[in-house]
Amino acid sequence: MKRRLLLSALLSFLIIFVISPVVGYAQDIVVGASVALTGKYARTGQEQLQGFQMWVDEVNARGGLLGRKVALKYYDDESKPETGAKLYEKLITDDKVDLLIGPYSSDVTMAASTVAEKYNFPMVSSGASATQIWERGYKNIFGLYTLAETYMNPILDFAKSKGLHKIALIYENTEFPRAIASGVKSKAKQLGMNVVFEEEYGKASTDFSSMIIKIKSKKPDMVIGGSYLPDSVAFMRQAKENRLYAKIFVFAVGPALPDFGKNLGLDAEGVMGNTMFESTLKLPGVKEFAEKYHAKYGHEPGYHAAGGYGAGQVLEAAVKKAGSLDHDKVRAALFSLDTVTTFGHFKVDSTGRQIGKTGYAVQWINGNREIILPPDAATAKPVYPFKDWGKR
Amino acid sequence: MPSIANGLRSNGAWAGAALVAAAAVAPLALNEYYQSFLLQVFLVIALAQAWNLISGMTGYVSFGHSAFFGLGAYAGALFLTWGFPWWLAVFHGAVVAAVLSLPLGMLTLRLRGPYFAIAMLGLNEIGRIVATLWVDLTNGGSGITLAPSLLPSLEMEYFTTLMLALGATLLVAFIHRNRFGLELRAIREDEEAAEMVGVNTTLNKVVAFVLSAVIPGAVGAVSVMYTSFINPNSAFAHTRNVEMIVVVLFGGSGTVWGPIVGAAIIMILREMLWAEFPEVHLALLGVLLVVVVLYLPGGIVSLARRDRRRRPDIAKAGETPP
Amino acid sequence: MELLEPDILLQLLIGGLLAGALYALLACGLNLVFGVMRVINLAHAELMLIGAFGSYVLYAAFGIHPLISLFLIVPVMFVAGYYFQRVLIERVVGRPMLDSLLATYGVAIILINIGLLVFTADFKSVPVLQGSFAIGDIPISEPRAVAGLISVALTVGVYLFLERTRLGKAIRAVSEHAQVASICGIDVRKIRMLAFGLASAMAAAAGVMLSVIYSFWPGSGIDFIQKCFAIIIIGGMGNFVGAFYGGVLLGVVESFVGAFVSTQWGEAMAYLLLVAVLLIRPTGLKGAARA
Repeated sequence: MKRRLLLSALLSFLIIFVISPVVGYAQDIVVGASVALTGKYARTGQEQLQGFQMWVDEVNARGGLLGRKVALKYYDDESKPETGAKLYEKLITDDKVDLLIGPYSSDVTMAASTVAEKYNFPMVSSGASATQIWERGYKNIFGLYTLAETYMNPILDFAKSKGLHKIALIYENTEFPRAIASGVKSKAKQLGMNVVFEEEYGKASTDFSSMIIKIKSKKPDMVIGGSYLPDSVAFMRQAKENRLYAKIFVFAVGPALPDFGKNLGLDAEGVMGNTMFESTLKLPGVKEFAEKYHAKYGHEPGYHAAGGYGAGQVLEAAVKKAGSLDHDKVRAALFSLDTVTTFGHFKVDSTGRQIGKTGYAVQWINGNREIILPPDAATAKPVYPFKDWGKR
Repeated sequence: MPSIANGLRSNGAWAGAALVAAAAVAPLALNEYYQSFLLQVFLVIALAQAWNLISGMTGYVSFGHSAFFGLGAYAGALFLTWGFPWWLAVFHGAVVAAVLSLPLGMLTLRLRGPYFAIAMLGLNEIGRIVATLWVDLTNGGSGITLAPSLLPSLEMEYFTTLMLALGATLLVAFIHRNRFGLELRAIREDEEAAEMVGVNTTLNKVVAFVLSAVIPGAVGAVSVMYTSFINPNSAFAHTRNVEMIVVVLFGGSGTVWGPIVGAAIIMILREMLWAEFPEVHLALLGVLLVVVVLYLPGGIVSLARRDRRRRPDIAKAGETPP
Repeated sequence: MELLEPDILLQLLIGGLLAGALYALLACGLNLVFGVMRVINLAHAELMLIGAFGSYVLYAAFGIHPLISLFLIVPVMFVAGYYFQRVLIERVVGRPMLDSLLATYGVAIILINIGLLVFTADFKSVPVLQGSFAIGDIPISEPRAVAGLISVALTVGVYLFLERTRLGKAIRAVSEHAQVASICGIDVRKIRMLAFGLASAMAAAAGVMLSVIYSFWPGSGIDFIQKCFAIIIIGGMGNFVGAFYGGVLLGVVESFVGAFVSTQWGEAMAYLLLVAVLLIRPTGLKGAARA
């Protein structure tokens, strides 16, 4: 009795799932992507997806691409490179998508772009910036973001101008943060500044107290973090607990998101970060995009959302230029494209690396994220130095 | 009983040969995606048989055998980046796993049941930590991507994994039927008694352990070539452990066909769920594990026999084992 | 080197002690279950996470302060553990320890993935207690101080319960020799359910404390269970006081290694200690682990 029950349960289970629906995308152009919907990069991945989805809706409202509707097929890569790689294999060989958009984060993109290269399928990446990605001789990965190594340059120049010279540098042990760190080290050397503390931490690390106590003992002038959102938030919180003080605190990614201010409240005040897009920029299309995004999603778009949207625009421009979905033609179009999207200037070199885009520095001032550098794009003057913990 | 058992045995061999033949010609008919699927099934079968060897047959249940997969994966990846041909990299993966398993085995096999399991679990984590912190060798948390030009074609990978699965199964089948297998099973049933009747338990255990490490080493190297990417988390992933354990226990621990049946069922499940519902897939594995431990210790294969509460490879007094 | 200044060392020590108190609370619970029924509960850390996520949900949805949630979650988890023992664990009591390890491994996987489905893999935390207060020149993190002290209080409370009360003595009797305890008239089965309930309550309490200090996700348990194993094996399996000292010791070691070497090395300490003790001195477990 028990044995038969088990067998029949197994059989019915198998039958139910074998009759899986086959969705027909016959007429639509399918763009495939794996997105970090959960995991460490979830917030940024979601923003990127939303930006891209906005583009899909708009392009369809305008009549589609090459006369056909655009559909998006995406999966959750859980912020994991190995999952992203497998998902892109699936998108290319099983779902047989027509176009590809890259995932969020340089480490997932490293793995995903290898898969794209294997199948000689061009991929537009709006979520990655580590130079490493473009130093492998691949021909199928095209970036939108400013390169990670240059992220901290404006702020380092600013710090130098204030006479600071001791830097504490911390970063996650993956592609993008490492790229930021290497950029910081070479720029610091150039400027004659000193990196007095440097430490890598793991992707899953959230307890920085011992590290912070160690940093305190070095008495740095500024703390630079090659980070994402969860770690930058955790660090600032623990910095407060351990009374770590520096004249400048600057992090990658985290401070560019509204969640940073929401999660830290007053403690976010004065923290600097970098960004590639702000809704306050005085560039064409920015205001309309920001308003539409806000209306649809309830908050201002950060640079990840704009990047997603921009990736869509780049794809559109490339496909139009190529006049077809043929991989070789699209690839050639992407290499020769020199255009301005809502995200900014898009122009790549012979490896697919972005060379036209500029970056900006932001700071949390009075509960808002303001652009502080470069001065011609700034919406507020930098607040310096960082206010001490007891005096907020 | 004996004649039926003999009949089953030769039937099993014919069925096996038929399957292998089918698998060999499959690439002609199937597209890339299905070839990839079968490739992964073969990988799981190979891993499962290896686990079967040390855990099912010898009774030393390991909760961290993915450590050898990870070792082989990194060894293979590094060899590729250093310019060696891919088949040598696979070999290298197997060799590194074997070499390291010898001292590790001698240390861990001194531990009893659950402590051995926990020690292996710890070793897997240590593997991950070493891969993360030895940045100069492994590139740490960023991992290593392998340029497509270094990799073998899908067909080559397919046949390599088929060979690995076949080899692992034949190894287990061979051991099952000869004296070595008998001694291993004796160790599993009662190690002290086995010692007393003259079985060299240490030698047997260590040999089984090393054999059970070589296969995952090779599998790891091939797997890396298939995914073209490796990092500490993917190389030493817990899910691989879970799959190894559930596939074998669910299929039928200690048997030859058990891991194959288990692999087929679990892989079909995985294929349906992994992209859109990865958590459901893993949760189901957990459910299967609990069900098997509580109600079906003999696994699926035992359902085909009359007495399902008994493990298929244990002899009752007066009966020859299957 | 600057790190050797006394107040830095003191800060590291205090931080380590407070973190260790949390580990101790968790490890003592696991140890209790092992002592009473010779079952190794691999899902123990997930029970802790249930407490942590409970605290998160109560805070996010209803604004309830974690210290109040503590009084809600702990009794609930006690009852849940009590009945869970009867439904599942009881079936593997008396069977080889490996079976309980496998079964609870399965349960852990189920719980982790249900957690992922419900809460996703994003880091969660309950940042109600923030900042620090100072004792002299030394800043002490407020959330850690509160969590650490409550953990110690709870652990000491359970210890006193086991030592002084009749029920506690019954539990200890069953740990030492279940058959004799049964002959003396103790309802062994009920004691097991009680012990498991108590351990679950302790784990859940540790979870609530966790939610106040760290960010966590459904996969956080994997690290914690390994730390528990390391603690118990070093402190002696079945030894309540040993587990307490082991937990505190681990916390301090992690804190110092994290500062003197690096954060990642600090995180690795539990695994290194676990494997080192198991492989090099298995007889350190009073011969229990020897093959």
